[in-house]
Amino acid sequence: MTKITNNIFDSIEAALKAENLRQKAIASNIANLETPRYRSIDVKFEDMLDKAMQQADIDGTGDVEAELYQPSMTEVKENGNDVNLEVEIGKMVENTLRHKAYVRILNKKYQQMELAAKI
Amino acid sequence: MEINNSYSPIDIAMSGLRAQDKNMKVISSNIANMRTTDNGKGEPYRRIEAKMRAANEGISCVEVDELAEDMSSFKEILDPGHPDAGPNGYVQMPNVNLPMELINMNTAKKLYQANAAVMKRYQQMSETTLELLR
Repeated sequence: MTKITNNIFDSIEAALKAENLRQKAIASNIANLETPRYRSIDVKFEDMLDKAMQQADIDGTGDVEAELYQPSMTEVKENGNDVNLEVEIGKMVENTLRHKAYVRILNKKYQQMELAAKI
Repeated sequence: MEINNSYSPIDIAMSGLRAQDKNMKVISSNIANMRTTDNGKGEPYRRIEAKMRAANEGISCVEVDELAEDMSSFKEILDPGHPDAGPNGYVQMPNVNLPMELINMNTAKKLYQANAAVMKRYQQMSETTLELLR
């Protein structure tokens, strides 16, 4: 559970945790590509962050935690498995790009603070 | 704050990859059943074609709409010794045309590669943007 305030570090922390979890979910899905009756898992985060931020606007603080869920509208193969390699790779690419962006923003923020400390 | 769920280039390229993956399945089924004289309903195997469709208007993902059966007539060959031969000695063979399937397979392969290339290029583009954040 991460507390969201108006501080940017909180949002980045929550987002990085979510990306980490999503990467694990994708790894699990790809590892179980051919496992009979395995259902793919995904991470729900953006909607919850939105809610937490709205709450933070009102109360000054909101809670957010990434959640695992099983998508229900997926196509199930003959062996009861619904993992699709292309989908997982697409998610992985997006996830990597977002993760990079968040780390860079965090880094930028630290650079700003260092700059301020030097003066 | 509104979350924009419109398609990203990665989603679109991904839908292309999925569609061609399905198309490849259809083609392999056609080739595997090229000499199948019985489909369980007293007919030879009927060729299948994956029909693609845009998921919505404008910028759109692609999806396989339906697996349509090819209703063209079956080929007939003379083979009186065949267990599925009719009284006149002719056997009905599937309406699969191997050269056509091979061409479709090449197209599917190229389209798959193209979609993968789009995804890779978009990734590179995004990384260029991320370089500005350094």
